[in-house]
Amino acid sequence: MTALPLYHYLMVGAVLFVLGLIGFLARRNLIVMFLCVEMMLQGVAINLAAFARYRGNLQGQAFVLFIVTVAACEAAIALALILMLYRRRHSLDASKWQDLREAGEEATEDMEPLPPSPRLPVYPHLTPAGLEPEHRAEESHV
Amino acid sequence: MSYCLLSALPTAAELWPIALPLLAGGSAVYFLLPRPKTYPRWWGAGLSTTALLLGGVLPMLGSGVSPESILFWSFSLLGIVSGVLLVTQHNPARAALAFALVVLSTCGLFLLLAAPFLMAATIIIYAGAIIVTFLFVIMLAQPRGMSDADDRSREPGLATLTGFLLLGTLLFVLVGYSQKLQDNRLGVDRLIERTREVAALNDRMAMDEKIGKGWEDDELFKQFSGVFKSRGDWKDLDDRRAQVAIAWSTIDPLDPKAVEASRARLGELIALGEIARDRLAWLPMATETPLSDLSGAPPVREFERVRRDAAGLPRMPADNAAYLGRSLFTDFLLPVELGGSLLLVATVGAIAIAFRRS
Repeated sequence: MTALPLYHYLMVGAVLFVLGLIGFLARRNLIVMFLCVEMMLQGVAINLAAFARYRGNLQGQAFVLFIVTVAACEAAIALALILMLYRRRHSLDASKWQDLREAGEEATEDMEPLPPSPRLPVYPHLTPAGLEPEHRAEESHV
Repeated sequence: MSYCLLSALPTAAELWPIALPLLAGGSAVYFLLPRPKTYPRWWGAGLSTTALLLGGVLPMLGSGVSPESILFWSFSLLGIVSGVLLVTQHNPARAALAFALVVLSTCGLFLLLAAPFLMAATIIIYAGAIIVTFLFVIMLAQPRGMSDADDRSREPGLATLTGFLLLGTLLFVLVGYSQKLQDNRLGVDRLIERTREVAALNDRMAMDEKIGKGWEDDELFKQFSGVFKSRGDWKDLDDRRAQVAIAWSTIDPLDPKAVEASRARLGELIALGEIARDRLAWLPMATETPLSDLSGAPPVREFERVRRDAAGLPRMPADNAAYLGRSLFTDFLLPVELGGSLLLVATVGAIAIAFRRS
């Protein structure tokens, strides 16, 4: 019986890291970008745990615990930021904040129009039937 | 046998098994990324299936099947597939579900890597994180229809190109380096085999002739020396090899016990070769870390004294959580305190940022 070579685990870690990187670069939803960063951290964690296993010590696992700690801090701050940004622009689109870009850079515009959103179904509006009975003031029985 | 990165680059024949799945996977991600006018879904699905077949399933079938490898391949396939889903889903709620799958498969890999405490901690912490993300999605998501945030990508082509260039570089170096290591291991194996052949002879003169006549134009001892000198940190092996060579040359061929003595020297040489092969097969142990024994295998200087299991991996402490805790609170005490302070600061910061002023 032979063990799997170390580089198998490193490759999986690299793939997860790069997928997260692509998602972070390409997606525009702030929440999805946040999830992609978390996925990059998962790839790094696999690398560290694999090195810990193949070296036979616990330092890599301790590092992963610190990664988890920092990821928790990051989640708290990132979600608070997302909440604040949403309150200002009423959208999760990161490109709504492109006026923060570097001076001299041109703004990116979305040339391609979005297809129209599907029409909402129109439900029949029924007029209320009958009359609401008159409410009498309660008489005191005391 | 130099070990710089350039020499580890693969040749063209080794390049295609990596490049083809990378190309297929890259174009699959490119086609699947959200846009106002989406490409047909089956393009991306077909391409990603091709990439997974070429890059995952075929190597798995080729590399021999054991319970560990089946678990490894299924966890990593699940993780990569749900990673692609996370990146390409339009709906953020589904993306959060895909992220949950990524975390679960990572936890499976942690279990394979003998890290059960990490598995439990990751599941517990990320379950909370994912639920909070779900709450945010439900709170903030656009009610219906398409939106700029979910149905557009920023430069999908450039982003995919960047990512897969980085991935390609990483994989080429990883695969090339491990191939090189394996080649060197096979070379040492051939040397050991050759030495065994010499030791099987019954005559000292014949042994001398077989050693001296050489194999690939060199004497056997010099070949060992070449292998040992190829690594900077193998001077101990080369010194011991030199001692064996001196002892070998001092044996008198006319002595009636010459054959036994020669065999003993050759046995020492074989032992040195096996040490070299093991060193090539497994990562060197940390020798100069200031960490205590509590962080795992004691930092012994001799590579050969590390206890290994049947598969050849170094043994880990059975009581993972207890040892991890001891390691954290002895060797990593200051980082633990810093991490705690960081959590406190992050909590204060999050409250300060999200506080509604008005």
